[in-house]
Amino acid sequence: MAFNFNWSPLLADTSRARDMLTTALNKSPKPPIIVDDIIVTELNLGSTPPELEILEIGDLAEDRFRGIFKMSYTGDAFLTLKTKVQVNPLKTHLSTKPDFASPQPLAAASGLTIPLSITLSNFRLSGFVILVFSKQKGLTLVFRNDPLESLKVSSTFDSIPFVRDYLQKVIEEQLRVLFMEDLPAIIHRLSLRLCSPEFQEMEEERLEGTKDGAAAVDPFATPPQDAVDAFGNPLDESQISEIALDPVGEIHASFSQKNILRLAALSESQRTLSLFTPGIRDAVFRAWAGPDRDASGTATPALTRGSLSRIQSTFGTMRSGASSIASGSQGTHETHDTHDSRPTVSSTTYSMSGLTLGAGRSRTGGLRKRKKRVVDLRKKTTEAGADTGSVDGQSEMASTYASETSSAVHEDKDAGEVATPPRSPARPGLQHEGPHGILDYGEPSTLAENTASTDTLLPAAPLLSEPPRMSRSKAKEHETYGDETIKARPSSRRPPLSHNQIRQAQQSTSPLLRSLSFDKIAFISPPNEAESSGGILEQAWMTKMAQEIARKVQQEKDRASRDVSPVARGSKGPAGGIWASEDELEAPPAYVA
Amino acid sequence: MLDFMENVQNAFYEASHWNLDNSYGALNTTARALLDFQIPQGLRLQISSLAAPNFATSYTLGSVGVVDGSVSYLYSSLPLRKEFKSSHIDLKNVIRGYKHVQDLRRPDDYWSWELWHAGKRVDRKDTLLYGRVFLPQSRLEALYLRRLAPTRQLRIAAVSDSNLNNGGTILALLQNDVGKYSTECMYSTDSALMGVRGLYNFGPDPRNAPTEPTSVDQVEPVHGRFSAGAELYYGLLNKSGGISTGLRFTTLPNHQGFPYTMTLTLNPLMGNLSSTYAVKAGSSLALCSRFDFNFYSYESELQLGCELWRRRNTTDIDWAMKKLRPDWKQRTISPDDDVSGVLKARVNQDWHVGVLWEGRIKELLFTLGASLDLKKREQIFRSVGLELQYSS
Repeated sequence: MAFNFNWSPLLADTSRARDMLTTALNKSPKPPIIVDDIIVTELNLGSTPPELEILEIGDLAEDRFRGIFKMSYTGDAFLTLKTKVQVNPLKTHLSTKPDFASPQPLAAASGLTIPLSITLSNFRLSGFVILVFSKQKGLTLVFRNDPLESLKVSSTFDSIPFVRDYLQKVIEEQLRVLFMEDLPAIIHRLSLRLCSPEFQEMEEERLEGTKDGAAAVDPFATPPQDAVDAFGNPLDESQISEIALDPVGEIHASFSQKNILRLAALSESQRTLSLFTPGIRDAVFRAWAGPDRDASGTATPALTRGSLSRIQSTFGTMRSGASSIASGSQGTHETHDTHDSRPTVSSTTYSMSGLTLGAGRSRTGGLRKRKKRVVDLRKKTTEAGADTGSVDGQSEMASTYASETSSAVHEDKDAGEVATPPRSPARPGLQHEGPHGILDYGEPSTLAENTASTDTLLPAAPLLSEPPRMSRSKAKEHETYGDETIKARPSSRRPPLSHNQIRQAQQSTSPLLRSLSFDKIAFISPPNEAESSGGILEQAWMTKMAQEIARKVQQEKDRASRDVSPVARGSKGPAGGIWASEDELEAPPAYVA
Repeated sequence: MLDFMENVQNAFYEASHWNLDNSYGALNTTARALLDFQIPQGLRLQISSLAAPNFATSYTLGSVGVVDGSVSYLYSSLPLRKEFKSSHIDLKNVIRGYKHVQDLRRPDDYWSWELWHAGKRVDRKDTLLYGRVFLPQSRLEALYLRRLAPTRQLRIAAVSDSNLNNGGTILALLQNDVGKYSTECMYSTDSALMGVRGLYNFGPDPRNAPTEPTSVDQVEPVHGRFSAGAELYYGLLNKSGGISTGLRFTTLPNHQGFPYTMTLTLNPLMGNLSSTYAVKAGSSLALCSRFDFNFYSYESELQLGCELWRRRNTTDIDWAMKKLRPDWKQRTISPDDDVSGVLKARVNQDWHVGVLWEGRIKELLFTLGASLDLKKREQIFRSVGLELQYSS
């Protein structure tokens, strides 16, 4: 086995190596004696090649090589450097010492810089070289030991022995660093430049890029020079502007070429029968998740969260008026209940609409329906959730009936906000997308977290509030749509729900019936009117209704208390307002008596 | 601006009658103050206090990228009665500027130091101890100062730092000052550097002046002083040395015209010739120039500097001062009592500009400085710094 070691091409062009050597020499902190950059002015590798002795070959193929050599070099290579040195030894010596204990000479330490040219020749190198070469990764050359045996430094100061010795010492130190650290890097980059044209292009681009920051020309931003249409007819200016400037907005959307390809693959996979589905990062598929997770929901993208909060804030202003009035009327638990039940009505009506859409009008297109399913049947207390639901409904629903219900949702919810403090928009959002789990975005870890949090939330959802919703919806169904949709709903829509959710629903049926007093039922009919009227009027009406209900409940309670204690009856008149009743409630029994 | 601890040390020299300026090392103090002033970098805060007349503490906190600090303590056997509160301190004392060389004073007699009690000498030699620890670097500076005799002083300075060769360095300096001339011998453990410095003042000898019975009108007043000095260093370990000689002419306080100082230093080994000319052009303006030339390498350098003293505006009370009757006893105001700040600026031929503003705000002494490079248009500011000092 023999190697053909071609030394001569290396001699051809040393300018690049010179530049790299210059940067390498100036990279490390220079000793204080050198006060200027070191510039390599001449580099000659000589005619004598180094002697290489193969010690070990670890890997050998056409495009890669790994081996250990013993190298010895006694050639005639030489290197000439130019720099400036400080020749006052006192100055260089004191510059590295702290001022506090320095003699601080007056002028004895004044400097004298002298241009210096150093020629390094008579290199004697010997050492073990580890050489790794592969076509892709280039050439890596590492010295296992310090290869520098000796060299001759001849400089401007050969006549002064002290300076000469000092320079010899300093340069040898620098060269050792160069051989051990910098040379491998230089050789690696050089080999990359020679071997792989890609790297060369990249490097050149990088260098050019630093030189002139000319922006890349966007073919869509600037109209083509001589445009022709598909049939080869030249286009006039207006046409060009149409084709050129219109797509600008689309092109500048944040889609990279790679993402566009991926999306194309994704849609492609749905269109064909191919079983291949490209992996989507940070995605949790419904099939992976257990039934519990399905019910409790998963994370929603941040986008909906943001929109949620925005929507809520817009409603918040409208809501404030109504809430201030209604808050006064929360005299008893019963009134509280009625308030609670009101949003229930709304959200249920809404959810009903969405559900009926999903069940009855499935032909209108899968995608749109999916969005409408984004309503949580369990968690009605989350106002923001209702917001998204309603907003989705508004935007998505095509039928007038749907939009009407959705508008009703707003009003009812506004009133409902009174009783239940606003939740953070994030959580409702999480629960909303969940039950329908088309493609739930979110990492598994966050998913688990979410399930945990929603599980704890389940008891927080008032039992009382759930039942009225059911009843309301049922009642409403009777009025508007009819029985069959209701029946369709639990059968067709419920399956994804978890066991405990179903259990909860079952539990909730009994308080539902219990809480359904006759006056509440009587009050059910108005929402239909409210649906058609405008926002402020509705609000006013709602607040009025709320007060009325409160009073009614209060009267009922009064009646009850009158039966129990005649003394208490005497203290407050039947016409006593909400405020009086509130006071009375808070008063301790001792004072009442 | 002088550090608090430097100020305390100067007060010690003053209290022990040691003339700092009569030394070859202080030959071009004026030029250095006007041209080589240090520009602070980053933010630096110093809180210090002379807790007792013999004891001073100082804490420094600085931030140049990283937060660092130092703690320093000073002990002086000589009680220091000077004012060190930053609210009352005389700015003239803490700001280095044009240095008026004073008339040489006759050194104390040996017997004046002697203190006898019950037949025994009980006097102690004045001593100053100073230590400073730089905290993150864990570097220690220590100073031992002892007045051996009225004309002699021993100064030992040491730095301990693990980054230095041999873990630190010690410099011992033995100074003799008899007024007419002064000599210094030094030894540094760092490369076993030995040095000798000497300064000779031409003109009358202050030691003889009082003994000679001459009437005042016979002796013509001296308006200026001419001094010459030299220094020689040799490092035993690295077998290298340095040498320089210097001349100075400076006007004395009884000079009629504006005060000025001229120096010329020569380093014959390195061929460096440096001449400075500083002039106090007015009560609040001093100008200085320096020209360096190397006759081996033909390199030259020119530096210009100035300092401008800002005085408190007294125009609003001038009318009241005028109305005072001449026979009323006025509080004599020294000419530099109303100084509120100093602006220093320097520029060299490379258009490197340094600007420094020192003064007092309320009870804080501040030093605000910036160094600029006017040649680099895109990045003019090279460094900016602010130093605040509070002492009580």
